[in-house]
Amino acid sequence: MSVAGSIFGFAIQTLAVSSIYILVAIGLSITLGTLKFVNFAHAAMYLVGVYVGLAIALKLQFSGDIASRIGLESFGFDLGFLAALAIVPIVTFGLGLLMERFVARPFYDRPDTDQILVTFGILLIVQELIRAFVGGRSITFSRPDWAEGAISLGPLGTYASWRLTIIGITAVLVLSVYLYIEYTDVGLAVRAGTEDAEMVNLLGIRATRPFLVIFGVGSGLAGAAGVVGGPVFSVIPEIGVGVLVPAFLVVVVGGVGSIVGSVVGGLLIGAVEVGLQLTAPTWSSVGIYIRAALVLLVRPAGLMGVVEVDK
Amino acid sequence: MTATNDKMAETDTQSRRDVLKTAGAAGAVGLAGLAGCLEGGGEGGSGGDGGDSEYPALGNYPIEGDTATLGFNVPQTGPYQEEGADELRAYELAADHLNNGGGWVDLWDDLSGDGVNGYEIDYVTGDTATDADTARESASRMIERDNVIMFSGGSSSATAIAQQGLGQQEKVLFMSCLTHSNDTTGGDCVRYGFREMFNAYMTGQALAPIVTEEFGDDKDFYQLYADYTWGQTVQQSMRDFFESEGWNEIDSVPTPLGSDDYSTFLQDARDSGADVLFLDHYGLDGSNSVSQAVDQGINEDMEIVVPLYNVPMAAGAGGAIEGVFGTDGWDANLDNEPTQVFAEAFEEEYGSTPSSPARLAYSATLNYAAAVERAGTFYPPEVIRELEGHEWGNGGIGDEIMRECDHQAMRDILVVRGLPESEQDANSGRYWEVVEQSSYPDAVGYDCDTGPAAECELGDYGDE
Repeated sequence: MSVAGSIFGFAIQTLAVSSIYILVAIGLSITLGTLKFVNFAHAAMYLVGVYVGLAIALKLQFSGDIASRIGLESFGFDLGFLAALAIVPIVTFGLGLLMERFVARPFYDRPDTDQILVTFGILLIVQELIRAFVGGRSITFSRPDWAEGAISLGPLGTYASWRLTIIGITAVLVLSVYLYIEYTDVGLAVRAGTEDAEMVNLLGIRATRPFLVIFGVGSGLAGAAGVVGGPVFSVIPEIGVGVLVPAFLVVVVGGVGSIVGSVVGGLLIGAVEVGLQLTAPTWSSVGIYIRAALVLLVRPAGLMGVVEVDK
Repeated sequence: MTATNDKMAETDTQSRRDVLKTAGAAGAVGLAGLAGCLEGGGEGGSGGDGGDSEYPALGNYPIEGDTATLGFNVPQTGPYQEEGADELRAYELAADHLNNGGGWVDLWDDLSGDGVNGYEIDYVTGDTATDADTARESASRMIERDNVIMFSGGSSSATAIAQQGLGQQEKVLFMSCLTHSNDTTGGDCVRYGFREMFNAYMTGQALAPIVTEEFGDDKDFYQLYADYTWGQTVQQSMRDFFESEGWNEIDSVPTPLGSDDYSTFLQDARDSGADVLFLDHYGLDGSNSVSQAVDQGINEDMEIVVPLYNVPMAAGAGGAIEGVFGTDGWDANLDNEPTQVFAEAFEEEYGSTPSSPARLAYSATLNYAAAVERAGTFYPPEVIRELEGHEWGNGGIGDEIMRECDHQAMRDILVVRGLPESEQDANSGRYWEVVEQSSYPDAVGYDCDTGPAAECELGDYGDE
């Protein structure tokens, strides 16, 4: 392969690996940045996205203990992938609103450890509920017919159609959220609330509503990530926990509360992972942690984060 | 800690355990004797036959009470969790059959269906998390706290090797379930461990002639392998056997166990220009790597070989396994009585078709129980001697022999090829066609002084 092809290939691989991380990390980052809420249950939205997406796009077979007991064998709408991509973010947006109102809000003023405990607990509950109904066996989330197989880009190499599709979907979703946060009143209130929530309230703006919306938006993105990521990996109940750690690293590297930071952080983590897979494969799984540690040593608030000074 | 200190710690542990067990046994005998005096005669001891008392305390022998506890230590989490879940179902079925009859217990003359050697069978379970350290800790708890007289497990080989090493140290028998590394009955073999599963060396023997005949004898191949003992021995064996058939390895690349995303590795494999790609991955890793290889269109440029298959893995990969060669130890659709009896019992209990790891779990438990019955005691050295050299032909895969020299079963292997998705049938566990049942000793097997066995030194029985 030519040098140009190698560089292009590296870029495509990095984008493909980073896409899912970025989609999940953005929701984590904005809830952590705006609401100061450590939301490990965000990965539950990814998990819900995968399984609900499967039920909408295809049909979900149930083999879990509870499903067997109540005689539930299968359920699904078989509406296709695009329907799942349209509906799932709405479902997880709604779940995000409920979670903000009934789980997050009572814990906003509690210590980080309490927030971590309750949200990680929710993630485990969702995971085990899925196992009890759907079962623990891996499921194949078939790609849509129009994205099956590989595409040859001549001297630039041959790539999986689905990977290129994911990159496109991620770019559209991230850009939409970025424009929403930057150029709408809700986004303005959120950004102002992130800087100084007390001042926003004193100015007569109810910061709780935009915060509620932004929580839902983050959850919607995680749900969308589940739909696009589902066909890449074997689907098992633990995939939520599996995506949480790299997504959190992306937030740490990129800087809390910054969409641009999440994108840059995601690309950096993805590039390190892909680079190590090509050069030192045995180090590829630990390399992203070393990269995160190095970034934090130089910039403790992350690449795009702002250091807060305690008053 | 230095090697010397390690050795001392090990010796201390053994000494403490031996003293405690001996004291416990002495106490039990004393109390039983006292009870006997008070009752004016009769045999002491509780449960089982009185013959057990002729042997000294060793490991968790003698069993206290009238229940023998077995330990089933499987991966309930991690990349091999699906295999572990199926194994656990089969272990529980085996315990039920040993106590109440059914399944192979009704076919095997050594077993009664009324417990084992007069003892009711109970069990405890553990989660190895597909991690050797966790497996060892879980097994330690079973030995120390639950006083298991035998424990079993596997998936992965690293966990099996760790556990059988512990078994040797503690003088508690370990019956390997799913472990395919050459090391398990090679350089890491132990007297207190037995393996019915075949190994990577035998996979190489079975696969190489058939695959090279299918694809031609002058091919370049590329390997991606899971970076731990199993993957390392598989890639070594594939290299040895396929290069001896005239193929040429271009490269072999390690991938971390538990990787989700193989796309970069696969892209590199495609760019290598090789004709054939070996994916030495298993479990969820195998499902992911095969699916992603097909997703990237690699099957259009290269032939794919997955040296070790099983049903949960094939189910996870779906249509991606079409045309992919591999090996497996057993198939629920084989046409013989033990296979049908086991598959029917399993389906009746769990509503699903058993996988080959499930059969291994079931077989390991029953083989141990049968050896205890033949020995007339749970005393580990006697049970080991019964297992060594044991031959049987009622395990659903033809005649098998558990060799004395390395505790490796010599047996047949299935060479299989994946079916297209349209011909797969999840209800009957049919995901491939059996290309050939490579038989021992004609097609697979090796002498005690060659292959992995040449590196095996089993260690002591504990009663020397």
